[in-house]
Amino acid sequence: MDASLFVKFLPAFGLAALHTMELSMLALAGGLLLGFAMNAMRETGPRWLKPVYWFYTGVWRGVPFLVHLFISYFGLTAIGLTLDPFEAATLALVLYGGAYFSEIFRACWQSIPVGQVEAASAMGLSRRQIFTRIQAPQALRMSVPLIANQTIILVKESSIASIITYPELTFTTTKIVSETYVYIEPYLMLALSYWLLTLTISRVGRAVNRALSP
Amino acid sequence: MNQSVIIPMVSVRNVGKRFGAMQALADINLDVAAGEVVSLIGPSGSGKTTLLRCMNFLEAYDEGEVSIRGALLGYRNTANGTRERESERGIAEVRARVAMVFQQFNLWPHMTSLANVMAPLTLAKGMKPEQARQIANAALDRVGMSDKADSLPAKLSGGQQQRVGIARALAVSPEVLLLDEPTSALDPELVEEVLEVIQSLSGDGMTMVMVTHEMSFAAEVSDRIVFMEKGRIVTVGTPQDIIYQPVHPRLKSFLQPWIRRSLDGKAIGMESPSPRFNDQIIKEYNNVD
Repeated sequence: MDASLFVKFLPAFGLAALHTMELSMLALAGGLLLGFAMNAMRETGPRWLKPVYWFYTGVWRGVPFLVHLFISYFGLTAIGLTLDPFEAATLALVLYGGAYFSEIFRACWQSIPVGQVEAASAMGLSRRQIFTRIQAPQALRMSVPLIANQTIILVKESSIASIITYPELTFTTTKIVSETYVYIEPYLMLALSYWLLTLTISRVGRAVNRALSP
Repeated sequence: MNQSVIIPMVSVRNVGKRFGAMQALADINLDVAAGEVVSLIGPSGSGKTTLLRCMNFLEAYDEGEVSIRGALLGYRNTANGTRERESERGIAEVRARVAMVFQQFNLWPHMTSLANVMAPLTLAKGMKPEQARQIANAALDRVGMSDKADSLPAKLSGGQQQRVGIARALAVSPEVLLLDEPTSALDPELVEEVLEVIQSLSGDGMTMVMVTHEMSFAAEVSDRIVFMEKGRIVTVGTPQDIIYQPVHPRLKSFLQPWIRRSLDGKAIGMESPSPRFNDQIIKEYNNVD
């Protein structure tokens, strides 16, 4: 193993890590918003909208991420929507993450004992007030470790964006390997990069969880 | 007598309710007058809790009518003679006049006692926080829980939680208070503090309908007791008729274990599980048999 190679590749890896983070954090933000909205719709929306929830979470969790990515990058051009690799990857990962975040929020909302909801309902609180005042404060706190876990999965899933040439960590590594014919050092750095990213996420998650605990 | 005085606070007319194939309630008729305390007793599965939950539409009844002081609960009659489910807002409006106390207290664990009592006032009634706080403090004081106003439910005993639950129900100034086995989830030594609060409410003329297994207490506090079985009302009467001099054979056999326990406790000279009114029970039963 040549230690000097680590130094040589470091700038490229730094830039690639930024791209991975950019994609993952956008997917986290967009996915959380989408997941929250989906769950809010399921909890408080009209009955006829509920199939939308089940269709979305069912299909998007039931199809591999690579397929989503191909559809958004290659498939959407067929209807005149041509996205660059970054846009296509972001779109696919937001929708993919959103489906899982929807289910995380659903699980947390449904874990609030039904008696609490009945009491609120019997005391005249509206469906929306029950959602925001009774369920949300408890359910959101519960969701933090699950969101952290799902974010780690999103970061790792973002590696698949390398296939449509988005220059994130995995793509950059493959490029270095094919140009330099060095294997051990770049792949070791790749593994280390993902591990550091996900370690950071789980640390942040734990800190948020602690801050929210009574 | 003024006409409005005669309109019962709660009127249940020919009410039926099914859970799938199971007939949970059948042909229930019951009027509760203003200021009256009515207890529902009966074996588990007899429909007493379902009936109580129909009185605030937590359970939607299928047949008949439930009215709160003349206003139909949960449904709206349409022009073509059928009826449809009332809007959420419409249900909330009638519900605002009925409050409920739950077996499992059902306090909101992320809120202090005070916040639990205030929430229905600020959220459902749109009251200003200062005014709500005043009313909530008065309600907590009423049940002897002022000193725990800032405690979270997890820091309170079961009896204290239930008293906060009662304060939460009282704060909205309900016309009727529904109590669903208010002491069933409590340790025996905590039952009394809750019963005392309920008894003082009846002394204040609060209209109450209560599902209970505390026979002595039901006898003491109720104006009338309803005995239910298999979704039907078997017999209704004064505590004297129902508890002390039961005539109906099914009612007698339902009460038998409780009577034996009460008498046993007395015989060995201990405070029995139901210390109230033991002397009277013994006297009455000695007279009967």
